[in-house]
Amino acid sequence: MKPPEIDWQKLNALIESHKTEQWGLIPLLQEIQKAFGFIPPESVEPIAEALGLFPAQVQGVITFYAGFSMVPRGKYVLRVCCGTACHVKGGRSILRLVQQDLKLKEGETSPDYKFSLESAACLGACALAPTMMVNRDYFGKLSPPKVASILNYFGKEGREEG
Amino acid sequence: MEVITLTINGKTISCDPGVSVLDAAAKNGFSIPTLCHHPDLKPFGACRVCLVEDEKTGRLMAACVTPVAQNMAVRTHTPRILTHRRNIAALMLAAHPESCIVCDKGNRCRLRRVAAELGVGEIRLDPMPSDQTPDQLNPFIYRDLSKCILCGKCIRADHELVVTGAIDYSMRGIKAYPATLQDKPLEQSGCTFCGTCVALCPTGALTTRSTYVGVPEREVDTVCGFCGVGCRLRLGAADSQVVEANPAMDGKSVNGATLCIRGHFGHDFLNSVKRLTRPMLRQNGTMTPVTWDEALQETARRLLMLKEQYGPQSIAFLGSSKCTNEENYLFQKIARSLLKTNNIDNGGYALGRGLLSCIEKRTDGSGRFHFFAGSLAGLEKCDAILVIGADPTHSMPVAGYYLKRGAVKGIPLIVVDPRRTELAKYSALWLPVQPGADTDLVNAVAALILARKSHDASFVERFTAGFREYAASLRALDFEQIKKSTGLEKTALEKAATLLSHKKIAFVLGDGILKQRSGLEAVEALLNLAMLTGSIAHKGAGFYIPAKENNLVGAWDMGSVPTTLPGRRAVTDPEARGEWEKIWQTALPTEPGLDLVQIIQAAEAGRLKGIFIMGENPLRSLPQPERVKAAFAKLELLVTQDILFTETVEAAHIVLPGAAFSEKEGAFINMEGRLQQLAAVVPPPGQAKADLEILLALARYLEDGNGPASLAQVRAEIGQVLPLYSPSARSRHLVWIQKKEGREAAIPFSPVKSAAPDQVETGRPYMAVLGSRRHQLGSGTRTGLSARIAAFSTQGGIAVAAADALKWGVADGQMIRLTSANGIMNGRVRIDAKVRPGFIFVPHGEDSNQARCLLGLTALMDSASPGWNTCPVSIEKIEGGLP
Repeated sequence: MKPPEIDWQKLNALIESHKTEQWGLIPLLQEIQKAFGFIPPESVEPIAEALGLFPAQVQGVITFYAGFSMVPRGKYVLRVCCGTACHVKGGRSILRLVQQDLKLKEGETSPDYKFSLESAACLGACALAPTMMVNRDYFGKLSPPKVASILNYFGKEGREEG
Repeated sequence: MEVITLTINGKTISCDPGVSVLDAAAKNGFSIPTLCHHPDLKPFGACRVCLVEDEKTGRLMAACVTPVAQNMAVRTHTPRILTHRRNIAALMLAAHPESCIVCDKGNRCRLRRVAAELGVGEIRLDPMPSDQTPDQLNPFIYRDLSKCILCGKCIRADHELVVTGAIDYSMRGIKAYPATLQDKPLEQSGCTFCGTCVALCPTGALTTRSTYVGVPEREVDTVCGFCGVGCRLRLGAADSQVVEANPAMDGKSVNGATLCIRGHFGHDFLNSVKRLTRPMLRQNGTMTPVTWDEALQETARRLLMLKEQYGPQSIAFLGSSKCTNEENYLFQKIARSLLKTNNIDNGGYALGRGLLSCIEKRTDGSGRFHFFAGSLAGLEKCDAILVIGADPTHSMPVAGYYLKRGAVKGIPLIVVDPRRTELAKYSALWLPVQPGADTDLVNAVAALILARKSHDASFVERFTAGFREYAASLRALDFEQIKKSTGLEKTALEKAATLLSHKKIAFVLGDGILKQRSGLEAVEALLNLAMLTGSIAHKGAGFYIPAKENNLVGAWDMGSVPTTLPGRRAVTDPEARGEWEKIWQTALPTEPGLDLVQIIQAAEAGRLKGIFIMGENPLRSLPQPERVKAAFAKLELLVTQDILFTETVEAAHIVLPGAAFSEKEGAFINMEGRLQQLAAVVPPPGQAKADLEILLALARYLEDGNGPASLAQVRAEIGQVLPLYSPSARSRHLVWIQKKEGREAAIPFSPVKSAAPDQVETGRPYMAVLGSRRHQLGSGTRTGLSARIAAFSTQGGIAVAAADALKWGVADGQMIRLTSANGIMNGRVRIDAKVRPGFIFVPHGEDSNQARCLLGLTALMDSASPGWNTCPVSIEKIEGGLP
């Protein structure tokens, strides 16, 4: 399956709305990331031109922040916590479980662009350890059945949509 | 102003506020090691080896980014600091490959020096070298990021000095590295291969690709011999060859730490197999090596014979805008005083000298007003910049850096060019004018400025004449007509007028004006605009004329021109002639001589019998080479004094091998008027001699018994009339413009004229615009022989708009043929978004400078002449010409 098509009109409108705002680079990147799930590499040069920056500078900012991605990511981005508290509570096993279930390694995206898997150093919800996030939602006190049901839930939802 | 007092290592010192601790310490003799610091770059604080300790708090601070503060007390070499510095160096070395033995940076590596000074030998850390593969696809820069210490000097040089933005940091933490956009190799990025990053890189991460391995045996500072910016170079030599070129990094130079692709990488032409190494005579049709005595004797004998037989006007001399002042002086002296002819010109003719002298004329008589702005640094200080018909980012890249830095600082930059040049990206406004319509455009902008009353009324009142008529004809301008000729809407011109309102303007003129059909009208219109806005003798304002050749100004000053004697004084002026007649002890010819084009025409007509050419290659640089060749074939004597076996040398009867700029002494004058001394870095190859020596010997053979006999004596002789050219003079001011008595005359406005734009013709529906690309200089005689540039310039080609390429059905890289009224050229297509449909951009210098074949050999500065900048062409696809 191909990655989702980029709506260039929408992208250009976003860029246009921040034109000549050199300080507006990060907000603009955030908006693009939110709208498309990633920052299309082809958009780097138009962004740079609009904001009066060098393309290499824009790329530098994108690659600096883990929150920005230049490759298309899945509809659901899973972040499994590997911080100290989660580690003690078996976070590694949770990660392994997710890896097996989705047949993905860290940093990978499923071929149907449904799931992307990442690990995080800490999600800041240590009381709920072990935890993971799916997009902006937290899931805490994880156990193998719970993980299976979460993945099942998002998997099913996707099928219904598809 | 407030003075800061602080102590460094117990010594009390005082300095200005804002100075860094590093600079304050350095000024007082405490040397602190640095890696990421460079005086031309903003402080950055990346490497931390300049750590110093605050005595009071014990805090460690990076000296380069810490400003001095009142009552500060700092220690620079405590045991604690040394431990930290050693750890930092050790960590850098642990991540560095152990390849010092084969590294081309050798002893110039700053990391190695800092480590050695700190006594870091054995590292005792687990080595963790990076596994980055080197980028070595381009012929210029070898980029091995495994040796990178992330000091950011390359990135900062790229952003702050050269303003290209090809690289920036990518990723972060341990994964960070300087990257091009999408990690493409350098030649596919915006990189211009100026090599500034290579010169600044403290380690072997960036090195020059070269056939010479290792560090040069010696390094000598001199002046670059390519364009008129006159960059200071540090040439590295081994044995008797120049093997490397770097910026001299001398704070007062025009270029500082920067150079361009030609200056940094093009000097391998000096070691070309095409260098001339011995004098030759054509005997029975073949070139035969002879001794210097034979060659010079023969030259003198035949020159005198021609003079005897056909009179002095049958001989012409072609000096060189690439040779030194002293050489040009002696050359024209031989022509004028020994052979009694004013038929002397130099390659500057083809570079628009004619129009420069027009500006000069307007200045003459009122020495107060100097239209020329002078120092390039003014471009970073002026109010507004108008670049018209020029693309200095290609033609003179180092001057282009000044413009880009100025624009980035916020100086409004207006670019007037039919093509969207690279500079347009940095501009506040790009005006895509129709070629040849610059006069109308400038007048229209002047009219709009006047209509808003945003001109400099007090300047006009005090210093000019004829304003009323000028204003009246500006008010009468028909904007419908202007829209038709320039192809620009009034709103676009209004924008320009807004940007220039109440501003003193810096004008940057290029080939688009200097070589166009109606160049004279355009220059008059620009001079009027300059007077209207008072853009004269004001910080940075005035005219900047890119001199394409290193000594264009000097050759002119020294009288290698048909109309003026050394000091730019007319040959028709008896007073000026008298001065030189006294020194040369002979009578001088009184009539102006033939200029470059007239010389060729006279040879064609058979009136001219002999030409002596020094350091020029007319067969490659002039339009219609077949005509020039036929003219040369009619000559009874063609003497060439050159460094390379050029097309012109091939046609010569006598060949005198000269020396390149790196092999002789003398002085050049750059476009700013800076007089700079050369240094002989290596000896001339084989039997070749410094050109001055050749000319001195020739003068002796021509029976000039009491002339000067050495460089010093030549300089002394020039100094008798022009003291500013004597060896002690460091800068040139226009003292030789004679002071006039009484009230100084006001500068008159010239009448407003209109000039018809260049039109395409039936059967030739495309407009070819000629221009430079940065890797070739002029006709490419020298840069074309650089092995590195030759390996790269396959990327050149004829730039066309995508829409046109589609129409003809040609792909990128396919061969096409351009036919103009004057000739034909073949070349590869390069699809370029910067070119508008209907236009074709043809670069000079490439492929034996084929572009010249399209032009006609007609006089420049003549409204009947179509100029040397544009010409209508037809296009033909060459089948089977795919790469």
